[in-house]
Amino acid sequence: MLRSPLLLAAGLLALAATPVSAAPNNAVVKNFLSTYCVECHGPEKQKGDRRFDELLLPAANEDTLIDLKDMMDQLHLGDMPPEKAKQPSLAEQKVFLDQVILELARGRENLAGTGGNTVLRRLNRREYLNTVGDLFGLNMAAFDPTTNFPRDQSEEHMDNLGDVLQTSGYLLDQYLEAADLVVEKAFAAQKKPEEQSWHFRGNFKPQQEMSRPHTRLKNAFIGIYECMDTPNHEGGFGFISDFQQGVPVDGFYEIRVLAQAMNRVHPYDPKIFGTDSREPLRLGLVPGDAKAGPLYHPQPLQPMLAEVALADGDPVWHTLRVWLDAGHTPRFVFPNGSKSARNSWVKIVEYHKDKWPADAKREGKNGLGIVENRIISVVEGKVPHIRIHEVKIRGPLAESKPPSPVQAVYGETALAPEAMRQVLHSFADRAYRRPATKDEVDRLMRVAGQRITAGRSPQEGLKDALKAALSSPSFLYLSQDTVAPQGDGKTRPRLTGHALASRLSYFLWSAPPDAELLRLAASGELTKPEVLTAQTRRLLASPRSDAFVSGFLDSWLHLRSLGSTPPDRRDFERYYSKGLEPAFKTETRLFFRDLIERDAPIRNFLDCDYGFIDQPLASHYGLGDLGDPARAHEFRKVSFPDSRRGGLLGMGAVLTVTANGIETSPVVRGVFVLENILGTPPPPPPDDVPAIDPDVRGAKSIRELVSKHRESPNCYSCHQKIDPLGFALENFDPIGGWRTSYGKTPIDSAGELPSGEKFSDIAGLKKILVKRQDLFAHMLTDRLLTYACGRRIGALDQVVVEKIVADLPGRQHGMRSLIEAVVTSELFVGL
Amino acid sequence: MNSELPTFAPSRRHFLRATGITLALPLLESLGGRVFAQNSAVGALPGKAAGTSRPKRMVCVGNMLGFHPPTFFPTQTGRNYELPTVLESIKPLQPEVSVFSGLDHGVKGGHFAISSFLSGVRTADAKGMPEGNLTLDQRAAETMGGATRFPSLALGSESGLHGGCLMSWTRSGTRVPPISTPRELFRKLFVSDGAAQIASSTDRLNLKGSILDAVQGDAKSLERHLGRRDKEKLEEYFTSVRDVEKQIELRRQWAHVPKPDPKMKEPNNKGFVSDLPLMYDLIALALQTDSTRIATFEIGGDFEANAFGLNGGYHAFSHHGQRPDAIAALVKMERYQVEQFARFLTKLRSTEDGPGSLLDHSMVLFGSGMGNANSHTNGNLPIIFAGGGFKHGEHKAYPEKGLGRQPLCNLYLSMLQRFGLEVNKFGTSTGTLSGLT
Repeated sequence: MLRSPLLLAAGLLALAATPVSAAPNNAVVKNFLSTYCVECHGPEKQKGDRRFDELLLPAANEDTLIDLKDMMDQLHLGDMPPEKAKQPSLAEQKVFLDQVILELARGRENLAGTGGNTVLRRLNRREYLNTVGDLFGLNMAAFDPTTNFPRDQSEEHMDNLGDVLQTSGYLLDQYLEAADLVVEKAFAAQKKPEEQSWHFRGNFKPQQEMSRPHTRLKNAFIGIYECMDTPNHEGGFGFISDFQQGVPVDGFYEIRVLAQAMNRVHPYDPKIFGTDSREPLRLGLVPGDAKAGPLYHPQPLQPMLAEVALADGDPVWHTLRVWLDAGHTPRFVFPNGSKSARNSWVKIVEYHKDKWPADAKREGKNGLGIVENRIISVVEGKVPHIRIHEVKIRGPLAESKPPSPVQAVYGETALAPEAMRQVLHSFADRAYRRPATKDEVDRLMRVAGQRITAGRSPQEGLKDALKAALSSPSFLYLSQDTVAPQGDGKTRPRLTGHALASRLSYFLWSAPPDAELLRLAASGELTKPEVLTAQTRRLLASPRSDAFVSGFLDSWLHLRSLGSTPPDRRDFERYYSKGLEPAFKTETRLFFRDLIERDAPIRNFLDCDYGFIDQPLASHYGLGDLGDPARAHEFRKVSFPDSRRGGLLGMGAVLTVTANGIETSPVVRGVFVLENILGTPPPPPPDDVPAIDPDVRGAKSIRELVSKHRESPNCYSCHQKIDPLGFALENFDPIGGWRTSYGKTPIDSAGELPSGEKFSDIAGLKKILVKRQDLFAHMLTDRLLTYACGRRIGALDQVVVEKIVADLPGRQHGMRSLIEAVVTSELFVGL
Repeated sequence: MNSELPTFAPSRRHFLRATGITLALPLLESLGGRVFAQNSAVGALPGKAAGTSRPKRMVCVGNMLGFHPPTFFPTQTGRNYELPTVLESIKPLQPEVSVFSGLDHGVKGGHFAISSFLSGVRTADAKGMPEGNLTLDQRAAETMGGATRFPSLALGSESGLHGGCLMSWTRSGTRVPPISTPRELFRKLFVSDGAAQIASSTDRLNLKGSILDAVQGDAKSLERHLGRRDKEKLEEYFTSVRDVEKQIELRRQWAHVPKPDPKMKEPNNKGFVSDLPLMYDLIALALQTDSTRIATFEIGGDFEANAFGLNGGYHAFSHHGQRPDAIAALVKMERYQVEQFARFLTKLRSTEDGPGSLLDHSMVLFGSGMGNANSHTNGNLPIIFAGGGFKHGEHKAYPEKGLGRQPLCNLYLSMLQRFGLEVNKFGTSTGTLSGLT
């Protein structure tokens, strides 16, 4: 039985209606605790490491507030007191909870000022990238000046917390290096080079492994034989052997290719390739940098710049228009190609025994070497692949030069001292996201002056001053300026318009405020709640808010770690060949984006009957055919036939990130649900617990191994909450595929929560979770506030969380409404 | 003096003489102390010439999946113990090697705890520790202030499981990014810049100096408007500025000192598994030429099973679930690691270093932050220890529980003291490691 929803609502109403100055009645709290809790959390026993008989009220420190918050959560969950223990009546619970909430509010007021403020925070790496890209109008798709930055510190996967992010000598040195790269690149882009053109036809030399078969084919074409993520990289990246040096300058280029889809329909066992022969072959283009490594291997930065579907038949010209950085050369890829060309050769030659050399074995195991296998397969076989017969490149295209802020500011006349001062001033205003002070501009001028004195040209001096601006704390740290507090001094200091503009734009765009935000900041309009709400909507409506969608999901659901324990290639080959990892992320992002756009209820995260998938995901999820093979790689909204997949707990991203790529653990997944869905993290395990030593030889299932938790009451007190949640997810394998057994052992995903509620599978669990959507709302609000303010949300801030959640029913629990409530909350607009 | 370095004759001192640079280089000890010991950094100039007393060196090698315990830990203790399968290749070195069991950091977290291997502290717990998750090598490197071009070297692979090397961490909690390939390491150690490059890098150092002056001014004016906690945060920035300033000074001095000649050609990269012996050779050369005295090396994500002709992943084999075929594959990969390590020890032992061998003056640690990968535990870590003038030859089994338990950091404290540091605490140490002489 779930005891809480009504009660919770009542408690929240009480909170909203009661002035916080009313004194809480601590005797009520103490009585309740000693009647229902102290038996297990008192002098005799301290289950879960908790002891309440010594709880000091009124709360004198944050720990006490954390305990109170915990009690509230446990009552809401219906987990405590345990089913077999003496139960408080609903009325008793309500009285108790009212007092706890009052005490939380009072404690927060008293303890405010000793903590809970955002600490001066530096830009993290992704914000830095967006910020310099924005300042100089650079295309950052294949330009990363931060590759040597140390990894950003994070806590609970949040990568933007002020006091967690650190600055070190090493990082500062890297900032200096990155400033150099950025400024030099921005100025190089100022030059207007002549358009050039190149024409390549024949003499296409492939990577060494493929050179013998291609010599027989007269090197007449570039051949692409496999998808991009394979174990051996043999013919997955087609490059122009006579154009390895790449384009001379940054810019848009027109790339015309005479391409041909070969053998979409082939005579072989489809399992050899793992592709769907109904799909048209897809030709993609990624940049390559010969200095970064072999062009026929994957490279760290290779965004897909263009993609076309190829019709069967004769070669056809396709025109692609792409941005290329200086030194980058186009490379052609085959995203829906074979899972591994190298591993396919030996299987293909079996179909072509007539082509075997006379001395090769005709029976039994293929006695040919890899070289022979490859030649026969490529030259004589009918393997699906893409041929590129001709390439014409033209660029940089003059008309396509993006309007660069640098260009706007730095004309040739900008180099006289007064003009240079103006240039630097206006740059510093933008770089520091507020009006720069005279001192700051003086210091930049001094850098330029020193360089000119040392014999550099005025333009070099100017560039070096810009590099100084990019290394200044005024640029690297987000402003926390506040307006002088008014009234009794107890209210939280409010951010100035400019600080608020930065907080909003880094929240929703991970980038600096644009002109409109800066204008509203300067005029003071932005601090008005209605203006702030309108700006929130404007920012969310912009595609730049993709940075929020991905940044927040990566932080909340740990998706940044996806792939950090790579799934085993042998067992989960499709994870690589079908590009499931990026597809998982896209699925989750589209889902979140859709909730924002429709302002749809947040309970859809917990359970719903739809999702956003493409054909590879549909196949992976066992959902069958989505229709038109030509659209296989388009994501679309679909209705699911049953309740397995709807919501976060059916998404590949969540299911993969909670496994280790080899096997699943109900404990790990159960803890994930408690922490990130219900917001009720279990205490860490005590010392000296033996870990599970998996033994797959016998018939011992994970359930049997974990059943040891039941034998010890100490383990059981926490694991009765953790394990059932994890078992419900055991039908999902380590990459989120559906399974009904481990080998021969059938999977039992039924469970019972401490509240007594039973479920038989994931669908049943999701129904129960929906009943707890208020807990989920608390958790989501907490995560949003954390991400938005760049700091932990502590027990002191719970009142604000409560208030936002209490207002949610009036806003139909809408996702966008929740974001707006976060932005207009006192935590967001205050220090 | 050349006789001390028979294989690779020119020591730097010799080199300097030969190139007409006298040893009257500025003493930079006043600049010592905090250098941010990164690969990109250059350390300081030698304060004094090498004498008969040879400097101590430290090498720490780790892997990220541990070793299959039944084939790693000897069943007997003391001397002349029977070598288990994985350790067979240390047979010729057995009297000069110690194998420890029962040592660990008392942490949990499986893969998430292996970053604690050389610090005793998980990254997640770093904030609560007085020195964060500062690792052994970086603690030692902090005191190098002047002696070598590189205060320390971190080597390891940057891909695969965990997304990269997790061995070496600085006091500020930042990871030291590793050098991943023999070629990159070779260039760093032995390829000197040309005159034009030196001029341009000197100019860049001057520019950095000007920029640091300016931004320090910005930080000071910013500070005036900040509250207490924000001031504390901004202090990190000031400290960073001072660190970079020191570093610039050191680099300026080093820019004109030629790098030693290793008497070998620049190697090509052949893949992590094949390159393992070469990486060890380059570490030995780095120590021998006194380019650095401290190195870490992680056998990480690029150590791939397919290089052994095995069908499956290293990580998957480590989750063997007691399947015999998976264990066999795992043991094969682990044996190779120990063989190459033994080869490295042999090389150090056969290299003269003053009145002894390079091994006599090098503490060499080999092990993992992972205890048993199948159960994802970080207890009872596999540890081999050699050299450094300690007495070796035994399998020492320490109690895993109870009063006699000793944290692995006790060994690290012993190592730091032997390295010459006057410290009485490191990480979670409770003292020096008993039984180590």
